[in-house]
Amino acid sequence: MAIILGAGIVVKLVLLLLFSFSVASWGIILFKFFQVYRAKTASERFMDFFWKSKRFDSIASQVERFTNSPLTVLFNEGYSELKKVVETDSKSDGSALSTDLGGVENVSRALRRATNSEITRLEKYLTFLATTGSTSPFIGLFGTVWGIMTAFEGIGKTGSASLAVVAPGIAEALIATAIGLVAAIPAVMAYNHFQHKIRVLINEMDSFSTEFLNIVQRNIAGK
Amino acid sequence: MSSRVVKIDDTGLGVSLIASAVIHMAVFLLLALSGGLLPPQMVIQETYYVDIVTLPVASPQSGTSAQSPSNSQAAPPPPAQPPLMTVPSRTKVALKAIAKPTGTPTAQPTTEQDTAETESAFSDRIAKLESSREARREEAVLEKLRSKVKTGMNSKVGTPGGSGAEAGSRYADYVKARLEDALKITSSYTSKSPEVAVRLTITADGKLSRLRIERSSGDATFELAVRRAIDLASEKFTPPPNHATFENGFVFKPKGISNGTTH
Repeated sequence: MAIILGAGIVVKLVLLLLFSFSVASWGIILFKFFQVYRAKTASERFMDFFWKSKRFDSIASQVERFTNSPLTVLFNEGYSELKKVVETDSKSDGSALSTDLGGVENVSRALRRATNSEITRLEKYLTFLATTGSTSPFIGLFGTVWGIMTAFEGIGKTGSASLAVVAPGIAEALIATAIGLVAAIPAVMAYNHFQHKIRVLINEMDSFSTEFLNIVQRNIAGK
Repeated sequence: MSSRVVKIDDTGLGVSLIASAVIHMAVFLLLALSGGLLPPQMVIQETYYVDIVTLPVASPQSGTSAQSPSNSQAAPPPPAQPPLMTVPSRTKVALKAIAKPTGTPTAQPTTEQDTAETESAFSDRIAKLESSREARREEAVLEKLRSKVKTGMNSKVGTPGGSGAEAGSRYADYVKARLEDALKITSSYTSKSPEVAVRLTITADGKLSRLRIERSSGDATFELAVRRAIDLASEKFTPPPNHATFENGFVFKPKGISNGTTH
């Protein structure tokens, strides 16, 4: 405690900044953990349900059960787009082949858009973790350099360089680097972890999009 | 039918941030209370190191070492004192014996029975006068001696060999000054106000024979510093006065040393 209270104003500000960085990054870590965990479990359950059911409209009626999965968003976007295509198809009475291809293209675009928005949502705030991980050690280092500067100033004033004079100032200065590392290490670890998890989710979404498009094409072609 | 699109709500961030802040506060308090996980807190009191250049290192030592031989020379008179105390009574008797005869010769001239005094009578009178002067001088010398003995006794009272405190405390002050000088070099401590009470025994030839830590505030760093300070100081102790063993308690604090409170 005394080591923090005894530090200079700049070192204190650095410590405060690092403390808030740490609080924010841990908040994001907790939030992301639950978000990714829910997305993963809900997606698994949704995939089970998806392969078991035969009809899109029965899936669409029960999709609220899996609200946390990004796949449900994809499904909804794709399904609503498909419905629009089918509606305009039946209204316009055009040739079946041309609307088939256009309809699949439309659904594919809708799925890609939904995938992108879901990736954006999942990756939101992750940049803060990356920033914390890369800048916190530098901020801490700045505090340390500043603290050592003031410590040397103090040594120059007292005129003696015994260990008892030098050591507290340096210890006081080094705590800034320590706190910087404490803030940075979990942020970097969590960033890498979530990057991996989100990549898995993106792959899932991509494969789901392909499956969905396949089914749509099969159904339209089989018409 | 875009209204049917399921939106995933991201309202958990605020709760997570609050939870994170609470956890941080808890960890911070835990560290602050335990104190062991933080780096050791070094307390620096700059006033303590400021006057390290102007330390009176040599003066107390030279002062007391010059003192001790004079003390040891002042000590011998006491054995000689009892014979001296008997001497005055004897000389006083002798003085009276001399004074009586001188009284009668002075009365003799007043009578003046025989104006034509004989040579022998005159010389006798002169001799008596001289002897009385001699006696008076003797008495003055004795008086001087007696006062000398008295002052000798007074200085003897304070020596460490005796039961007095004056000269003994002067040696304690000397030891204290040496310890303070040494502690200024070795001092380091981790707690706020460490305190170590030590009992030192110094033999007649100035060697540290015994060191006992009687009380400590539990600051191991400061204890080590005190031990090192004692080691450092004991290399150059002058022997205690009067060839007596010196024993005293010293309380070490970062601000300085006080003595004699270990009883």
